[in-house]
Amino acid sequence: MTERQIDIEQQKQLEFYMDMLGHDILNNNQAVLGYLELILSNTETDKAARKYAEKAVSHIRTSTILIENIKRLMAAREVDPNSFKPAELMAAILRSEGELRRHFPDKKISLTISPRIDGAYVIGNSIAENLILNLLVSIVRLDKNEEIELALKLKEVDHGGKMCWSMTVEDLNARLPPAMKGASIDAIYQQDGSTAVKMAGLLFAKMMAVSLGGDFDAHQLGETEDEGSAFVLVLRKAGKP
Amino acid sequence: MTSVLIVDDELFIVELYRDILQLRGYRVVGTAFDGEEALRKYGNSVDKPDVIIMDHRMPVMNGVDATKEILKLNPHQKVIFVSADVLVEKEARDAGAIEFLPKPFRMDDLIEKMERLSSMK
Repeated sequence: MTERQIDIEQQKQLEFYMDMLGHDILNNNQAVLGYLELILSNTETDKAARKYAEKAVSHIRTSTILIENIKRLMAAREVDPNSFKPAELMAAILRSEGELRRHFPDKKISLTISPRIDGAYVIGNSIAENLILNLLVSIVRLDKNEEIELALKLKEVDHGGKMCWSMTVEDLNARLPPAMKGASIDAIYQQDGSTAVKMAGLLFAKMMAVSLGGDFDAHQLGETEDEGSAFVLVLRKAGKP
Repeated sequence: MTSVLIVDDELFIVELYRDILQLRGYRVVGTAFDGEEALRKYGNSVDKPDVIIMDHRMPVMNGVDATKEILKLNPHQKVIFVSADVLVEKEARDAGAIEFLPKPFRMDDLIEKMERLSSMK
C-alpha cells in the first residue's frame, strides 16, 4: 500500500468515526431537547427554571448546528457547486430569521432587511439556507446583549468575474477578537484555541461559502471592537429554477 | 385514540417518545429496536398502529428497508421517518414515508405531524 493509499484509508476511517460520533451526539441532543420541552410545557415550572431550560435549549441547538456543520462540510467537499439547485434568497433569509428566534428564545432579536429582493436566487440549495442560519447564529453568539439588532443589506456584486448576491449583516454589538482587526477571516487559524472555538461558526461560513463558489469575510465596523462588526457573505447568483 | 409503533435502536430515544406521546394521549402499541423486529411485530400484530415512527440507522435492517417491507404488507400504513441523517430524506420518502423529521426535532413538531396524519384517517 502506497503512502497516498494509507492517507486515503485513514481519511475514510476518520470520516467514518466523525459520522458515528455526530450521529450519537444528535441522538443525545434529541433526548435532552425532548425532556427540556417537557419541563417547559409543564405549567408547574416556575419562571426561573423556565429561563434556565430555555438557555439549555439554545445550547442544544448550537451543539446540533455544530455537528451538522461538520457533516455538511464533509459532504460539500465531494460535490461540484454547479450541481446544486438554486435557492430563493429572501425565502432562505426569512426562514433563517424564524429559526434564529427559536434558537435563542431568551433573546429579543430584530432583523431589518434592505432592500427586500424577491425572485433572487443563489447557488446552494438547502446548504445556502443552512449557511445563512449558521452565520446569523454565529453573529448573535458574538453579541452579549439580551436585545440583538441586526441590519441585513443585499446587493449584486461581481466576484471573480461571476455575478453574485452579497449579504452584509451588521451588528453594532458583535465583537470580533482584536487580533482580527484588518485581517481576513482566515486569521481565526492564528487565534488561541478558546477564541478560535468561539469563531468556528465564521470559519465554517467561509469554508461553505467557498465550496459554493462564493466567499465570506468579517470585519470590525470601527477602530475598536466595541464599535460592532460586519459580516459579508457572497453567494453566486443562479437563474430561476 | 391514535396508536403508535416506535422503532429506534436507542432505548433512551424510545423511552423519550413513549413518555411524551403517552402524556399527550397517544397509545403506544409497541416498540422495536431494529427494522427486522419492527417488521416481525407489525406482521404479527392484530391491532395495527395508526402511525409508525421509524428511525433509519439501526442494526439488522435499516429504517428505509423496514418501511418498504411494511408498506408491502400494508400500502396504507402511515410512517413518519425520523433520522439524524438528513441526507436520507429522499430515500425515506421514496420508500413511502409520509413525513420526515431530522433529529433533533421539537416534540411539538412530531405531535403536529401525528395529529395531521390522524385527521387523514
